[in-house]
Amino acid sequence: MNMPTSPRVEYVSKDYKSDLKPIWCPGCGDFGVLIAICRALAAIGRPPHEIAFISGIGCSSRIPGYTTAYGFNAVHGRALPIAQGIKLANPDLLVLVAGGDGDGFSIGGNHISHAIRRNPDLTYIVMDNQIYGLTKGQLSPTSPRGLKTTSSTFGSLEDPVNPLLYVLGYGARFVAQGTPADMDGLTTVIEEGIRYPGFSFINVQSPCVTYGEPEFQIKAQKTRMQSVEKLGHDPTDRLRAMALAQEYGQKLYTGVLFRSSESCPTYEAAARERHKALAGSGLPKERILEMFLPR
Amino acid sequence: MSSDLAIGMAGSGGDGIVSAGESLINAAALEGYHAIMTKSFGPQIRGGESSCRLRIATKPIFNSGGVLDVAVALNWEDFLKFGAELPVGSHTIMIYESKTGVSQDMLPIKGAKPAVALAVPIGEMAKKNAGTDQAKNSVVLGLLAGWFGIARDSILSGILKKLAKKGAEVVAANERAFTAGLDYARSHPLPSAQEMSLPEGKREVNLVADGNDMCSAAAIFAGCEFFSGYPITPSSEIMHFLNREIWKYGGIMLQAEDEIAGIGAAVGASFAGKKALTATSGPGMSLKSEMLGLATIAELPLVCVNVQRSGPSTGIPTKGEQADLFQAVFSAHGDAVRPVVAPVSVADIFGVTVEAFNIAEQYQTPVILLSDQEIAHRKEILRSFNPSEFKLIERRRPTEEELDKYLRFRITESGISPISQPGILGGNYLALGLEHDENGAPSAGGEMHAKMNDKRIHKFAPLKQRRDLFIVEGDPDAPIGLISWGSVAGVAMEALSLGRAEGLKMKLLVPKLMFPVAEEIFQEFFASVKTGLVVEQSHQGQLYRLIRMYVDVPAGMESLAKSGSNPIMVTEVLERLRAMASGLDKNGV
Repeated sequence: MNMPTSPRVEYVSKDYKSDLKPIWCPGCGDFGVLIAICRALAAIGRPPHEIAFISGIGCSSRIPGYTTAYGFNAVHGRALPIAQGIKLANPDLLVLVAGGDGDGFSIGGNHISHAIRRNPDLTYIVMDNQIYGLTKGQLSPTSPRGLKTTSSTFGSLEDPVNPLLYVLGYGARFVAQGTPADMDGLTTVIEEGIRYPGFSFINVQSPCVTYGEPEFQIKAQKTRMQSVEKLGHDPTDRLRAMALAQEYGQKLYTGVLFRSSESCPTYEAAARERHKALAGSGLPKERILEMFLPR
Repeated sequence: MSSDLAIGMAGSGGDGIVSAGESLINAAALEGYHAIMTKSFGPQIRGGESSCRLRIATKPIFNSGGVLDVAVALNWEDFLKFGAELPVGSHTIMIYESKTGVSQDMLPIKGAKPAVALAVPIGEMAKKNAGTDQAKNSVVLGLLAGWFGIARDSILSGILKKLAKKGAEVVAANERAFTAGLDYARSHPLPSAQEMSLPEGKREVNLVADGNDMCSAAAIFAGCEFFSGYPITPSSEIMHFLNREIWKYGGIMLQAEDEIAGIGAAVGASFAGKKALTATSGPGMSLKSEMLGLATIAELPLVCVNVQRSGPSTGIPTKGEQADLFQAVFSAHGDAVRPVVAPVSVADIFGVTVEAFNIAEQYQTPVILLSDQEIAHRKEILRSFNPSEFKLIERRRPTEEELDKYLRFRITESGISPISQPGILGGNYLALGLEHDENGAPSAGGEMHAKMNDKRIHKFAPLKQRRDLFIVEGDPDAPIGLISWGSVAGVAMEALSLGRAEGLKMKLLVPKLMFPVAEEIFQEFFASVKTGLVVEQSHQGQLYRLIRMYVDVPAGMESLAKSGSNPIMVTEVLERLRAMASGLDKNGV
């Protein structure tokens, strides 16, 4: 891995890119996401050794290994609990989490709502491609109803999960969407998400070139995408954000849909407060057995 | 005079039976006795039947005893629900509420008739002296103090301290109830005196604790700074304790959204460099098992406590069993070896917990600590000790030199590679569930996979030489071998001392390192053994079978195994051993 050996004041995006060759298919949207993440990290300027990048399992979950940060390519669906453990254990780290729509909204679906309500300062990037790629083209939680795949020969009988509405419904405080069809916009929302002091969620429409439908590919996205900023959307309005999110699947909105204007302590900040309040109130460790003296 | 007394009491939820037991064990600790107290409840959330057993002795004891010397029934229906947990025998003194209207020669007990049956107006005395039924437990304590001479003053001062919060009136009422019980006992002496002798040896500082609390305190002492878990009986008290205490030491207690997130956050904290703990019971272990595989391949230290209960599935959540041994040892996917350790008592769980953290750190591995409901919930009087006698081990972090061209999974002679953590400049690496090369890059080649498996398994070789993780007692050349583990080892220990006292040539082996199986240590033990027993609380005899998988076991070794909630008695172990001994004599061995 090409890692800097001493901290520098300024970083460029290639400082965050490792030598490992991605397993992704040529033209995969995830290449764009990787570049956008590296650019955003360069703009923020934290040295790679102070960054922990956690993922689950899937094509997109390979991404931490393609960066120079400390990476953890863990088990399917469990990136968020692991990332929260890391952030709580060392709040000084910049913690990124990434994975696919199956990883986040199917097998790992229980963890998102709880990460949102704890509000740790980490950024969760979902590379949403409406399909399972690594396992060769099965139905995913965001696949549209009726979609024919290797596991739905006669068409899907289920409605898709709406990732944007899902996280907004659970009270997420920063919700954005991007696409590698708009690299500048994608880099900007990732940077904003990282800078947001709390849990931030970014849905990226990252097409699968091998199993994905034509309507999800970069070319089609370029004509479909619509910047919410240009629509004059007020990102502090949760209900308006939910109204836009409602159109997931029909419209492709990009930019920050919601950024809460209310302040809320992060889990780690609240923990730090508790530590301050209780510091020194425990028995010295070598005398800890005294708590079992009979009374 | 009596030197060892097993008392069992049962009543309905509101009768304060367990609270009486706690008063008794605290008082006994102050007076220098040894004691073990177990509690047992019906399945109701509140109310229902509750019971406790308390064995008090002048010498060290290792289990909660067999047939009761003294039984107290506040009502028969509740008492009988506990069946074999409160066994009455021909030497038992049976004390019961006279209001139940049962005549002394018509007791509703199956089997042996107790030596003495005493119908006592417990409720009436409580009403008359304290004005309330709720003081029945104070009356019972008075009766026990009067008839058996146990720690009278300490019991009374304990009750008074405990009730002080409830106001002077309640305190005075309970003192009257206690005195009434005491006076009743004095004016109705037992047919033969049963006063407890005073404890032997000089008075030392005693502690009273249960296994879950002691395990938690040990975790804090060992330097654990992160706990995450999900509530599950009978392990939740570990979460409760650490929730109260770990913050004071700069640590974190995270109540996770599920069992998987519970272990997941702990894995994350360990990756970030902290000593981390999670705790659960059987069903939770099943959910955690994928994440244990991840910790094995990513070589991350982690301690996972399983407080075993009766299974499978929900089973009997409030009752113990030793039937998760196979799960601990074999539930891994792939060739994953995970150390499994098991304490034998509350006194022992402190050291075993510290050792679990040490093994996790030293070998960069998840360690499963198999406790059980009995140890978790029983209260024990134990001699205080200096925890600083336990050495603490920290994971091997890379030196400056090793950070130059750092390889996280470098293949070393010991199989242990220096482990970096986020924040360390130059130590950047990719932790992963995928098979990988020395640098942490994913690798799908068979050669690398074999090498890495070899590294991850052979690093445990020195662990199998840890004789300090085994209890070996008795005659080294004995032909009769006894093996047991966990809380049941306490039954085997007593069987050993009684058996040897009656002339049986026997010895005992108790592994606290359950896996990897230390073949040499078992083989050495079996060298002189012709016959014997593996005693354990599981239907299949899981330890018996596990040993046979790895070690050549003498043909005469048999299994004494019972499902949970079926107490294993010292007497039945001895009976089997006697028969085996006479078999040896007949064969001229």
